[in-house]
Amino acid sequence: MNLAAMQGLLPLLVLGLGAAVLMLQISIRRQLGWSYAITVATLLLGAAAMEPAMQVAPLQVTPLLRVDNLGLFFGSLFCLSGAVTAVISRDYLRSREGENEEYFLLLLLSTLGAVILAYSTHVAALLLGLELLSVALYALIAYPERGTLPLEAAIKYLVLSGAASATLLFGFALIYAALGSLEYAEIAVQISAGRAATSPALILMGAAMVFAGLGFKLSVVPFHMWTPDVYEGAPAPISGFLAGVSKGAVFIAVLRWFLESGFFQYSSLLAGITLLSIASILVGNLLALLQTNVKRILAYSSIAHLGYLLIVLVAAGVSPEPGLAVEAGGYYVVAYVITTLAAFSLLGLISRQSGDREYDQLSDLAGLFWKQPGLAALFTVALLSLAGIPLTAGFIGKFYLISAGVDAALWGLLAALVIGSAIGIFYYLRIIYTMTTVGEQANPGTTADMLVGSRLVVYLLIFAMLYLGIVPEPLMGYLRTIL
Amino acid sequence: MLLLDLIILLFAGGALAWWSESRSAKAPRWLALAFLSLGLLYLLGGVMQIPEQQFSLIPQPDNPQTWLLHYRVDWIPRFGINFELAMDGLSLILVTLTLLLGGVAVVSSWDEISFRPGFFQANLLWTLAGVVGVFLAMDLFLFFLFWEVMLVPMYLLIAIWGHEQKAFASMKFFLFTQFSGLLLLLAILVLASIHANNSGSYSFSYFDLLGTAMSPQLGFWVMLGFFIAFTVKLPAFPFHTWLPDAHTQAPTAGSVILAGILLKTGAYGLLRFTIPLFPQASVDFAPVAMALGAASVIYGAVLAFAQTDFKRLVAYSSVSHMGFVLLGLYAWNILAVQGAVMQMVAHGLSTAALFMTAGALQQRLHTRDMRRMGGLWHNMPRMGATAMFFALASLGLPGLGNFVGEFLVLVGLFAVNPWLAVIAAIGLITAAVYALIMMQHAFQGTPDPQRQLTDYGPREMAAMGVLIIGLLWLGLYPQPVLDVAQPVLESLLAGGAP
Amino acid sequence: MPGLQVPLEHVLMMAAALFIAGLVGLMVRRNIIFILMSLEVMLNASALAFVAAGAHWGQADGQIIFMLILTVAAAEVSVGLGLVLLLQRRFKTLDMDNANRLRD
Repeated sequence: MNLAAMQGLLPLLVLGLGAAVLMLQISIRRQLGWSYAITVATLLLGAAAMEPAMQVAPLQVTPLLRVDNLGLFFGSLFCLSGAVTAVISRDYLRSREGENEEYFLLLLLSTLGAVILAYSTHVAALLLGLELLSVALYALIAYPERGTLPLEAAIKYLVLSGAASATLLFGFALIYAALGSLEYAEIAVQISAGRAATSPALILMGAAMVFAGLGFKLSVVPFHMWTPDVYEGAPAPISGFLAGVSKGAVFIAVLRWFLESGFFQYSSLLAGITLLSIASILVGNLLALLQTNVKRILAYSSIAHLGYLLIVLVAAGVSPEPGLAVEAGGYYVVAYVITTLAAFSLLGLISRQSGDREYDQLSDLAGLFWKQPGLAALFTVALLSLAGIPLTAGFIGKFYLISAGVDAALWGLLAALVIGSAIGIFYYLRIIYTMTTVGEQANPGTTADMLVGSRLVVYLLIFAMLYLGIVPEPLMGYLRTIL
Repeated sequence: MLLLDLIILLFAGGALAWWSESRSAKAPRWLALAFLSLGLLYLLGGVMQIPEQQFSLIPQPDNPQTWLLHYRVDWIPRFGINFELAMDGLSLILVTLTLLLGGVAVVSSWDEISFRPGFFQANLLWTLAGVVGVFLAMDLFLFFLFWEVMLVPMYLLIAIWGHEQKAFASMKFFLFTQFSGLLLLLAILVLASIHANNSGSYSFSYFDLLGTAMSPQLGFWVMLGFFIAFTVKLPAFPFHTWLPDAHTQAPTAGSVILAGILLKTGAYGLLRFTIPLFPQASVDFAPVAMALGAASVIYGAVLAFAQTDFKRLVAYSSVSHMGFVLLGLYAWNILAVQGAVMQMVAHGLSTAALFMTAGALQQRLHTRDMRRMGGLWHNMPRMGATAMFFALASLGLPGLGNFVGEFLVLVGLFAVNPWLAVIAAIGLITAAVYALIMMQHAFQGTPDPQRQLTDYGPREMAAMGVLIIGLLWLGLYPQPVLDVAQPVLESLLAGGAP
Repeated sequence: MPGLQVPLEHVLMMAAALFIAGLVGLMVRRNIIFILMSLEVMLNASALAFVAAGAHWGQADGQIIFMLILTVAAAEVSVGLGLVLLLQRRFKTLDMDNANRLRD
């Protein structure tokens, strides 16, 4: 481990150190304000540590991790998203009694897992990142003491996520048995050297199991069952973290694995992903129509969005020049993470918990436009971005995806995307429409006394969403240089 | 810069109107009217400074100097997307119509809107800003952006201030237009991708994409994407079903803008983009398109005839009239296309007035059902007289703008397809029937003695007066409009000659 | 003695059988403790496959992954048992069906 390697891993070191400091602080003196400050500072420092790390990139640090611009960029995006979640959670935790310092510790560890995922070039790193991310999330989901939903959601997530990990590992074991390597780049070498020919069934089955396991974490159909339940049960900021950071990180890990280990050569695998994508788009959007709980609507919408994202994998596999597809994937992930975080953060602020339930039913939002015009307008922008209406980041993301799809001539997937988006508009508009109705129902949770931090963070997110929608060129150019 | 200023002016005016709501309930409408008048004056003032001979130049795709106004900055170089606005005679006519009818819409909503008037006027102005952008954008990406952006505030206008079935109507409106919008986006991207494969770099500029070579089969599908997107908006049979609901449920100003201007964006899209970008596919497709146009003319007229709801009747008559536009465009000779443009303007004016009448009736009678009207002429002679004028305009009375438009379309069409011209002419006759039935049910007959109704005041009469003058001018002396449009249409025809 | 003494396929079959047994248990069992045990079986089945594959190639990687999986499984289950305690305290049951309030 030389100095350059240390410099490259600086973001990880900062996060790890921050977690240790936070643990010490909690053991010495419990004080929520301090824990909060340490967490936010660590996450911001972690994001800033990208800068020095970039000077040594690209650099392979042990076979497990690679410090390159892609990993660093998304690592810092996840750090910032973690910071956003922390700030929003502070508002959320105000209304909760008891000792809450560990909440931030878990959040910090979970973010560390996401960052490791962005760096991973080896099965072991993938496993570590994934588990660090998930295990901390189990506890975060179960955090609220109110009612029984969070606990139930956490157990459900734990069991299914554990099963997904086991499936993923079994798949990797099969690939390892066939190829004798756990490193992505080495796997690609073995495949192109023709070693795969000796046992193609083993490899395909392994790859399918890996995809099933990762597909669960991405909650693509048919591995999506847990998503709405868990999102509904978890605290709103954590649902946002799950939908945004956790999925984004896993997607980046999938993208890396898929591209670097050369699995896109298997056309049957691509056909399988195509099916998963179409199923996710249609099922996610159609089931969202039936929901009356806003969190559940957003959960199904996130299923559909991951379905859109899978188009990137197929396009990268089919197209002779995968650059555009990967670029599109990168942009979409950024847009999706920001938009999802904003939507859930705003929902969390709107549906501030009170009594034993959160005010997250569709009918609770009635008349919000006239009672809380600011919050409602911001929420509308987030929803429009999810729906992919121009001037928002979501639109540019969709534009990119369609370009990549057209470039690779994936007409079936594009048809699904168009139909899915049209259905999607229906339920996003239903939320907006409900907010504009003149409702008598007063929502005691929606008071204007949010903390300055939450207010600032929400404004920043909306600003970022609009900025990326109106002036997309800087990010596009940047992604082009790092991919 | 003028073009950009115009759009910014409307956006800023909307924001200001929204803000002013907290100060005074009356301020927003004055502000909206002021900004629209300012925009109109600014536009006309700017156009005055353009030298006379510029108007007779035929706009060349590759030479911005031949356009009346042109503005362009780089926007997203990654995809060759520019922020490119340009105005020629066609855009000038339509933008002027937009601003004029925008003013009429503000006047028509003067006392109608008491709930959140500022936000109402803001949405109105933002819709108009989007429409102006649609008429000016010369980059397909930018065009699509305005195309979508104008829908959101329009949706809110219907969803918040609409009538009894606003939720259903607004949702249907948005879904139809949005789904077709996605098809348009897909088609634009396929076109750009073909162009990128041919030339090696992405571009969304209209001028670059003109004349893109592609296989006939692919060309047909891409053209169809454009065609469906624009005919949904137009609307033509069988994509029209959103229109009666949206127009009926929208507040008066919303109906005025929808029928007067938003429908024209569909026709404009066909004329500017679909046919010139895909000349060959359009020629092959013209018989189908014209058949749809003729079907719309007849279908709209027959259904209008069967309505008892005043607004619904006018809405269906729009389907019928826009069928003429579709016919004229796909007949694709100078007479027919001139007729289509003329029909767009005249229909905008006459339908706006009829929707305004419907709104005034609803405000006074709290119903749109014509069976509960009757004898209103007696109560409100001024309203009756103006309604009569516009009903006659709508049925195509010679001397008024609609007649010129429909007549030119029929003459041009006759040269291409005499049988369709005959069918469309039958539509004209049915128009006379429904327009007169409307007058008879609503305004003639025995008046209800219990009724105490206020007639049009000076404000309403002023708006009506503007529209009447406009229609008379178009009907009696259409030459200036034809002259302004002439070079543009010639260049379009030359580009996409069958 | 390097290499694997028995054919790799046999061990993989064995691991697959264990994996499926775990999966079936996960789906059939209603008691949360049994569900967690089934999960453990699934994870260990993958670990076994890794060890066998590692031995087949004569590499230590398989065994390293095995240790990682052990750690991960321990972490999963310890959090799981924590949740079980909470479940027992609140619902007075360990049956997942009784605790199912979240529905579509």
